[in-house]
Order: sequence, then structure tokens, then C-alpha cells
Amino acid sequence: MFNIAAKRIIKEIKEVINGDQVEDAALKLELVNDNWMDLRGEFKGPPDTPYEGGAFKLEIKVPETYPFNPPKVRFMTNVWHPNVSSVTGAICLDILKDQWAAALTLRTVMLSIQSLLAAAEPNDPQDAVVATQYKENPELFAKTAKHWTNIYAGGPNHVWEFNRKVEVLIDMGIEEHKARVALSTNDWDIEKATEHLFS
Amino acid sequence: MAETSEAKASTSPPGGDAGGEEDKRDERMLECNICLDTARDAVVSMCGHLFCWPCLHQWLETRPSRQVCPVCKAAISRDKVIPLYGRGNTKQEDPRNKRTEPENTSAFPGFSFGDGFHMSFGIGAFPFGVFTSTFNFGDSRPSAAPRGTAQYDEEQFLSKIFLWVAILFVLWLVFA
Repeated sequence: MFNIAAKRIIKEIKEVINGDQVEDAALKLELVNDNWMDLRGEFKGPPDTPYEGGAFKLEIKVPETYPFNPPKVRFMTNVWHPNVSSVTGAICLDILKDQWAAALTLRTVMLSIQSLLAAAEPNDPQDAVVATQYKENPELFAKTAKHWTNIYAGGPNHVWEFNRKVEVLIDMGIEEHKARVALSTNDWDIEKATEHLFS
Repeated sequence: MAETSEAKASTSPPGGDAGGEEDKRDERMLECNICLDTARDAVVSMCGHLFCWPCLHQWLETRPSRQVCPVCKAAISRDKVIPLYGRGNTKQEDPRNKRTEPENTSAFPGFSFGDGFHMSFGIGAFPFGVFTSTFNFGDSRPSAAPRGTAQYDEEQFLSKIFLWVAILFVLWLVFA
């Protein structure tokens, strides 16, 4: 059992590195400290979404019972998305839970997460605040997601309006990330955000 | 068509010619969908997916309540997979009949001589047997035959035979 897991991980890394398919070009997968149970993945944000141009890092923990049980995957990059916790990076995706199948690989898992960014499931949310914004104010949601992609994932699209609002809170002595979270969860209303922070 | 294959050949790592790549693809065709290695004790599901039997067995054991094909999630079960026997496989033994994990077959590990011979001693209700034969009150068995009759001789003879049988049995128990 132990051997299957280690052997498979080595094969899977080789497959991602030598991948001959177009979408594989955007995938990265590597071991942390030469330990097959601990990996880092990276993929590019899907085009025509607020995540376009960003590079999203994943923490992948492989159980000893892999591939009979799914790997544990979470975002290391902060992401604004209904199915990803904006705090912990936890991902709500069925194939990482009860819909896991032994023939799935880390490559297919990363591709699934990539397409999850393109097609959110707001009715099965991981982050309720984000999901509410997604449903009630989709334009503001898209702008916030683009802003987070720009700041945390190195995306090229600046949202100057939001940058300025974050600056205002930083000038009030609030830590940058805290300020951004407060503004994002309060629909970028500075008054509501400060109230939220100081209450 | 030609262009795409050329592009592929140029992106492939140096040292692998076109034939090698073809071989590699053929090999991948026969890989188990679970361990991604060449399938051993290969079985194929009704939906056409290839696995090592030990791998598939473990998958079915991992979630007994939801037995689905690891590739396409079609229903799958132990009885509905087909073992594959290649030409090199001379034994043609159904992998499902092989033990996939070691089991402890001898339930009573005390006495076993080589393969297949098991022996055990039962004590049963030994002490109570003594009581039942000793305290036989109100016994209405017929009394012994009077001395000198043919029946008396016969009984004496039988009891001697039984005595010798008992002695032989005890000797066999001790020395065998």
C-alpha cells in the first residue's frame, strides 16, 4: 500500500513535467523536502475569468492510503471564490471528498480546481460571505476576485479603486491583509469596514 | 496531422526516437488505472477499464458501500470483472481466487504435522464421567452371570480384550 502511493506520486510528477498536453503547460508539481507525502502544486488562473494571469499555489498532502483515499489539497495563495475559504484556503470540491476515484491523479485534481475557479458552485459554498456576494452582487464579486488575483497571485490587472481604499485603512493603522479582508467582506464600504474592524 | 506529430516529436526529450515513443504508448495502454504500472493479474471491468486485481480489490474494500469504477464511476463488482489471460500466462488462474492478503488459516495453531494434518485433544466432561460411572445408585443393570457358565467365560474374555486394547491405546498415546 505504502509502495503504491510513493511509486504513483513519482510517476505523477514525471507525467506533469513531461506533459504533452496544452493545459499541462500551466501546471507545476514538485516535492517539498524530497518527501512524497508533501507536495506543492501551481496552476495558472483560467482565461476570461477574474483569476486570469494569476499563479495559484496549492498545498498537497498525500495520505499513506493514496490512491484509495483522496489527497488533501488547499490553496496557499489567498483566493476570493465562493468554494474556497478566504481565510484557510480550504477547497470545497466533491472529488476531494466522497466523489474521489482511484484513477484520478494530482494532475486531474489540479485541472479540476482550475476549472472550479472558472465555474463556481455558490449553492455549495465553502465561504458563505463570498458566496453571498457572488449571488447578490456579481460585478463587485468579479472585481474583488480580480483585485485579490492581482495582489496575491501576481495577476496583471490592477483594480486602482480598491487599492486606494485599502490604502485609506492602512493609513488608519490597520494591517494590509486585514484591511483588504474587511473591505472585501463589507462590499468595499469603508465606513462599514472600519465599524467591523473596531467593533 | 503531420505537423502536429512533428511538433510532438520535437518537444519529446532527446534520445527517444519515434518508434520508442510508439512503444511507450503501447505500454501505457496496458497500465493499471490505479497503480499506473503495467497491470499484473489483470482484470477488466464491464465498462472496459483495466486494473491489477489486487489494486481493484483494495479499491472495492476501501468503500464497500459505493462500489464504482475508479475511472468512469459505472457500477462495478467483484463478480462482474473479467480476468485477462495473455499468451505468456500459462497457469490461467483466476486472480480473484488467489488470496490477495495473507490470512491465518489454522484456527487452532496447537498441533500440526507438516501440511494438512491437524490433531487436537478434547477433554470434554471428563470429571463428570467419573461421577456418572461411580455414583450409579439405583442401577438396574442385570447382575453378573454366575461363575462356570459359558456367559461368564465370555464376559471374562471380553473384559481381557478391552483391557489389552486400553493398554495398547495408552502405550500408543505415550510413544507415538
